[in-house]
Amino acid sequence: VARSRRSRRTLTVIILVVLSLSLISLDLNGRTHSLTSGIKSVANDVYSPLRQGVVDLISPIGNFFAGAFDYGAVQSENEQLQRAIGQLRAAQAERGFDQNQLRQLTQLENLPFLNSLPTVTAQTQDEYSSNFTATITLNKGRADGVDVGFPVVGAGGLVGQVIASYHHTSVVRLVTDGQSKVGVVFGQDNKYTAIVDGQGPGSDLTADLVAPGTPLHKGEIMYTSGLQAAEFPPGIPVATVSTFHTAAGASQESISVEPSANLGQLAYVDVVQWVPST
Amino acid sequence: MTARSIARIALVIFVVLMVQQTMMVALRIENAHPDLLWLLPITAALVDGPETGAIVGFWAGLAFDLVLPTPFGLSALVGCLLGYATGSLTNAVDPRAAWLKPVAALAGSVAADMLFAVLGAILGQGQMVQINFLALFLMVGISSVVLVLPVSRLMRWALAGENHRRSLVSAQTDSRIW
Repeated sequence: VARSRRSRRTLTVIILVVLSLSLISLDLNGRTHSLTSGIKSVANDVYSPLRQGVVDLISPIGNFFAGAFDYGAVQSENEQLQRAIGQLRAAQAERGFDQNQLRQLTQLENLPFLNSLPTVTAQTQDEYSSNFTATITLNKGRADGVDVGFPVVGAGGLVGQVIASYHHTSVVRLVTDGQSKVGVVFGQDNKYTAIVDGQGPGSDLTADLVAPGTPLHKGEIMYTSGLQAAEFPPGIPVATVSTFHTAAGASQESISVEPSANLGQLAYVDVVQWVPST
Repeated sequence: MTARSIARIALVIFVVLMVQQTMMVALRIENAHPDLLWLLPITAALVDGPETGAIVGFWAGLAFDLVLPTPFGLSALVGCLLGYATGSLTNAVDPRAAWLKPVAALAGSVAADMLFAVLGAILGQGQMVQINFLALFLMVGISSVVLVLPVSRLMRWALAGENHRRSLVSAQTDSRIW
């Protein structure tokens, strides 16, 4: 009896492991990814209102413990002010980039500046839902015009990119996530290029593929390049140089950068409805 | 497993998922927050043995996979293996031992997070190993030790009537522990 029970137990575990591996394969395979994505989409459409209901239920308790009777309204007002300040900072930072671009490309028309692009303002529902990824969940999805690949900007610059879009919610990978890579330009006349790589939540980003001796200064802003096949429109502030040095014999400079966007204030963000030109 | 147990386990998974996604994610220190998911297979295995641990771990993982941005099926795989391993490794231990639940919660949660990150990296999600593991292990380990008791109580309620664990004491005596 004990042996039969052990065999059944082993068989159960083998079946479950095979099932799990099959689901992972379906998800990671480009051709069948839409199947798992569809299942997740339906689940998220059911789950999001339920989650919001629970949040609405428990938030007054949290607000009470925060010690302010009108805490919710004050917090909301503060978030909106932070967003307004962020947009002003972004506009100020973009102006420098715009001037450089205008000097070089006055003969070209209809440059895809961020200001002229349509955006969808979304509220952040959830931050860092997993310990292993730097993502946020927005309260806008496909039904609101938010699609996979759209850039997301917030206070000060680029926040990330939409990696999953469901009916009324979407998931954004932040620039700090280890899988985030953004092509940038910097320097006078924006003539130097680099790749800004996320190094995981809480860690500074790095700017790679910069040749030794490239002129740099602390506080220099790096903008999305908008080069051919780029995933972001040009001119969005991505990161600010914090430290840089070149090790003897190294083939590239070692540059540490901080996100231009204030990733600590992501209550509201703008999703840019921009599709890369093919 | 009876239909009543299945319904109760589904309810417990749903409650834990909601608590995790509404309250636990807000308790973030050094970008790490508690992870209640792993406590479900651990407590199920302690209550009812490795097979139930694996089954609960699989379904709980699948439920979490639906709302997490990590690869679909990865939590289910780790949950299943965690439940089975916990049940198998503690099968001969007296379930009345006071140290059993905290130790299983601490070791199981940390091991599950490590396995989750490594498997994720093998599957092409390199960012899953680019995190502060010390902060993660401390946060998940400590919170699991604290929260294992209420989750264990929920799981005991869900699995009332099931008794596949080779216990040194009768189910009736055992049920008075928590």
